Amino acid sequence: MGVTKIKGHSIKKLPTVEGEALVTTDLIAFWGGTDWETGEIVEVSHQARGKNMAGKILVCPAGKGGAGDTFGYYYLYKSGKAPKAIVCNRGQGTTLAGALLTDTPMIYGFKENVVDIVSDGDMVKVDSEKGEVTITKKDS
Amino acid sequence: MHLDEEEEMMLAGEEGKGTQKAMEILKAKGEAEDAKRMVKIVYAHLMPPDTMFFPYGRQGRWARDLTGELTKGVTRLKVPATMEPKFVDLAMAKDIEFTDELVKEMDSIMLPAAEFFENLGVIPSYTALPFLIYPTKLGQHVSIAESIAILWYNTMFGSRCERDDGVTSLAAAITGVYPEIGVHLSENRFAEVVIRPGKDIEPARFTYTDWDAYSLAAARKGKEKTPVFVGLPPDMTFTQLKHLLAVIAVESGLAIMHIVGITPEAPTLKDALGGKKPLAEFEIGKREIDEAYDIATTATDPGVDYVFLGCPHVTEAELKEVAEALDGKKVNPSVKLVVSTTWQYLQAAEEMGYADIIRKAGATLTKDMCIAFSGTQVSGTIATDSIKAAFFYTGFSSKTTRRVWFGTIQDCIQSAITGKWQGRR
Repeated sequence: MGVTKIKGHSIKKLPTVEGEALVTTDLIAFWGGTDWETGEIVEVSHQARGKNMAGKILVCPAGKGGAGDTFGYYYLYKSGKAPKAIVCNRGQGTTLAGALLTDTPMIYGFKENVVDIVSDGDMVKVDSEKGEVTITKKDS
Repeated sequence: MHLDEEEEMMLAGEEGKGTQKAMEILKAKGEAEDAKRMVKIVYAHLMPPDTMFFPYGRQGRWARDLTGELTKGVTRLKVPATMEPKFVDLAMAKDIEFTDELVKEMDSIMLPAAEFFENLGVIPSYTALPFLIYPTKLGQHVSIAESIAILWYNTMFGSRCERDDGVTSLAAAITGVYPEIGVHLSENRFAEVVIRPGKDIEPARFTYTDWDAYSLAAARKGKEKTPVFVGLPPDMTFTQLKHLLAVIAVESGLAIMHIVGITPEAPTLKDALGGKKPLAEFEIGKREIDEAYDIATTATDPGVDYVFLGCPHVTEAELKEVAEALDGKKVNPSVKLVVSTTWQYLQAAEEMGYADIIRKAGATLTKDMCIAFSGTQVSGTIATDSIKAAFFYTGFSSKTTRRVWFGTIQDCIQSAITGKWQGRR
């Protein structure tokens, strides 16, 4: 039916959110790699360069960047350009801190490689109470 | 998650609002990762946003508010702490295109913040290399906010810290504790992928920038997996290790890596992998190194406007190379050359005569500041020897037109003298 449910580790129980997926196969930096005024990925050699994460469900292998990356996420959030939720493979410290600081739902550590099963434009529901992510393929 | 009596008291607000907020932050982090308890830390390295993160405009006010909430009523820290560089040295900020208004605004946010932390007893290290000032031991728990330093404390010392940011490390310094999560636990410290040099490269003959390129190439192969490096020279110097660790720390978001024969938890490959089979093995050859140089090099215009050295801070060995390349020469009037180091290295350079040579050539020698962040104010073409800095110079804004030449200290200095890029294209 084009609907897949996957289970991971939720960092905090927050209301369920739903939105369109932005998938990056490269790791993502919020501090330096993303424009905190616009939500656009600006890292020069990044696979998703030019795409915008504002209001999306961000799906990526993990966050990267310097230790300032948490502030990058915080500034993005303060500008109203943060994603609705983060779904990733590894829940790296600076990304996790940014999500906690801004009450962004974040689920990580799935059996599957998330960037392989979600595509740009899929509808993704993030239930952080259950640690469950529901993916509805855009062409279904 | 179990909290002991003292931790419960901090959470209840018995030690003031700031300490309460700090404990709430650490408890939330512990719960996010299913921690069973807190562990005592012995040291913290701080990254206050109001001293380091563009301390002007609305983000400057956000930073000040964020730190203000966390330090309300806090009069001392529970562990020794050092601190990141400040954003910029205000005395030279105009050289890198900051206006008088911005200098005034930074003066009103950055300097009071720095003074506040100094009054709390923070060691005014203002360094990206805190492991030189406060080295810790195998198995000790710490909280560090600086990507290369996080990787260094775990990898080179075998101490234990997560990828902490400015808020988390400050909370840890205020309370003296940290949730037992991630690489604070032995089972999460093992390598997952193996990185080895290909037969067509010779790591023993690498320049510092080759180490940056090797590091970027390794990050692009291993992505978020913890790597173990094999086949690297056992006598790697401090400065070589600085270059190897700095790039992968940013590019892979790693808290720990291993180097067989060099790092304390990797006497053998088997030890580094915890007896398990690696998920993957990658070889880095000439092709991958060339690709990394190409990624770091975004400039096409041969004209160079700025040459920035010192991300992370230039070491004594590098200051010697800078002085040797500049000895008796003059920086081209169309170029600004900034060499950014720590106050300890600067003091040594003064006594050894390097500082005099560098200044006489017309370069700006600075301390205590972050040239990677403050260097993003300029327009035009920057030459640098740091892939970490190149990442920041070409980032932050979709509107930026700044482009970067990447090459060795010698390439960068020759370019500063001639005004044209002299290195690899």
